[in-house]
Amino acid sequence: MPRWGMVIDLDKCVGCQACSTACKAENNVPHGSPDDQRLRRDIYWNKVIAVTNGKYPRVMTELIPMPCMHCDHAPCVTVCPAKATYRREDGIIVQDFRRCIGCKYCIVACPYGARSFNSKEQEEKKYHRPDLPPGRNVWGQWPFPTRTHGVVEKCTFCFHRIDQGIKEGKKIGKEVVPACVEDCPAEARKFGDLDDTHSEVSRLLSSRGWIRLREELDTKCKVYYLPR
Amino acid sequence: MGLTFETIDGKSRGFRILTATLTAVSMAGLISFVISYIKGHYLLGTSNILPWGMPIIVTIYLIGLSAGSLILSSLTYVFRKEAYRPISRMAVFLAIVLIFGAMVGIALDLGRPEKSWRLFMFFVLNNMQSMFAINGILYGGYFLIGLVYLGFIFGEKSKWTKVMGIIAIGWAALVHMGTGAIFGFIATRPIFFSPIKPFEFLAAAMVSGLALLMIAVVAIFKFTKRDLDKDIIFSLSRLLLVLITVLAMMVLVDKLTHLYSPDREPMVWLLTGPYSWVFWGLQVGCAYILPIILLSHPRYRKTIKGVMAAAFLVVIGIFGERFALVIPGTAYPLPFYPGKIEGIWGAAGSFPLTPVELLMSIGIFALMGLFFILGLKNLELLPADEKKEQMTTSAAAT
Repeated sequence: MPRWGMVIDLDKCVGCQACSTACKAENNVPHGSPDDQRLRRDIYWNKVIAVTNGKYPRVMTELIPMPCMHCDHAPCVTVCPAKATYRREDGIIVQDFRRCIGCKYCIVACPYGARSFNSKEQEEKKYHRPDLPPGRNVWGQWPFPTRTHGVVEKCTFCFHRIDQGIKEGKKIGKEVVPACVEDCPAEARKFGDLDDTHSEVSRLLSSRGWIRLREELDTKCKVYYLPR
Repeated sequence: MGLTFETIDGKSRGFRILTATLTAVSMAGLISFVISYIKGHYLLGTSNILPWGMPIIVTIYLIGLSAGSLILSSLTYVFRKEAYRPISRMAVFLAIVLIFGAMVGIALDLGRPEKSWRLFMFFVLNNMQSMFAINGILYGGYFLIGLVYLGFIFGEKSKWTKVMGIIAIGWAALVHMGTGAIFGFIATRPIFFSPIKPFEFLAAAMVSGLALLMIAVVAIFKFTKRDLDKDIIFSLSRLLLVLITVLAMMVLVDKLTHLYSPDREPMVWLLTGPYSWVFWGLQVGCAYILPIILLSHPRYRKTIKGVMAAAFLVVIGIFGERFALVIPGTAYPLPFYPGKIEGIWGAAGSFPLTPVELLMSIGIFALMGLFFILGLKNLELLPADEKKEQMTTSAAAT
């Protein structure tokens, strides 16, 4: 079984936020009004934060793209009472909207702020998935055909693409990648199997020093950053 | 034991007005809940950075009051302190009403309350590693144990009552420690994360439950014009003083630990930031310092007014303690990456109190008040009025 992970090269990242936009377009994440933004009710599956270190004249602002880290020891999975958040065998942490009761415990427990609460009835409820049409007859983990308010949402590593790609026998990580990886103009993001020593992500991780965010919490997350 | 219990008449004008008011306020709360359910939680003050708001604060506050109240009822039925017998039935009933209110509070906070049955599918659909699911067992069991306990008390089965009382104390302590564990086990939030949290919650439960019980007893005895044995209140007030001291010590240890690295910054933010007035004013001032002064003052501690003022301050102050835990605990921004995070992702969350949320919270209290006075009317909770009985017997004799 593969263990999907992502490597983000902060040296290449230009902070264009194309990943956030691509994510919103791919997963039909609501755009949110300026008011939503101000009150922190905007839904983000992928966000880009700006971090400043140092004092003038020696200031450095880094732009850190932050998807869900898909931790191996995910605090959200531990705290979810309804098994709505769970770890798939390939290591992707998914959120099942059918099971979610909206207790928001996972938002409290997530160290990366990767989760958003869908706090109102969205105008565009359908998931537009040209590659995988959603339908009620699919009684699996996904797709939940319409978006409901009152549940928690998060990044899925675009697993609909991965599942479809595996079915079609394509190479994951080369031919099929999550939307944010595909749309990154600087090719700062790489996606692949962390357990496969020949994959590009493994090669990158062995070639350079890497960091993971908030290691002190021992989440063993699968999004690696290559610092500049 | 010559003590008999009776119901109140519930036919006076005041009682009817009170019932009507409480019903109206509960209906307002229900309507605002329905609106927030249909429209979504953007009507509440909660957001992605501050996911828990007023309903959760009210819930943990009520669970505390309930557990404290039930533990104190055991003074009579387990430890055989006969002096407290007149108020013990009421304590148990109050505990049941309060835990009911707490469950309503949880349901109001859920984004999808119609799926809340999933919380009670233990070991089948539940993730039993979650403190929330474990607390589901604790709350449900607590509600049932409280009902059975009250049943035995009404049936005057003193042996079974004692057994049930022992179970009830242990369970009530577990309930509140479990509630503390919901917060204390979250390593992500430095203000929550503390192994002492369950015990702190237990102490806070005892303090607030005892204070509320004292207020309820004095108020009801006054309104129904019964004679109250003042020694009961004064001995309870001494117990209250001890418990407040224990609680203050635990909070001191908790906050002091966090003033050292690595959690220093969030704690300094709590103690000096925008919510510091809740912490210093309500939690420390109203819940600890003022009651301790009042209850150890040589003159005020011997007056009902002084003791009641202390009890009121405690009940308000413990609410402040819950607020100062839940809101600043989640509002402090998460340190995703070393350095200063710019923009909204590094800003502390704010909690605007919206009318819908306020009405919902007041509605919970009104609903519980309604249940409580209906209980007084329909169940034999209050000790019989001895003066009236003597009058009727003497009247019958002549």
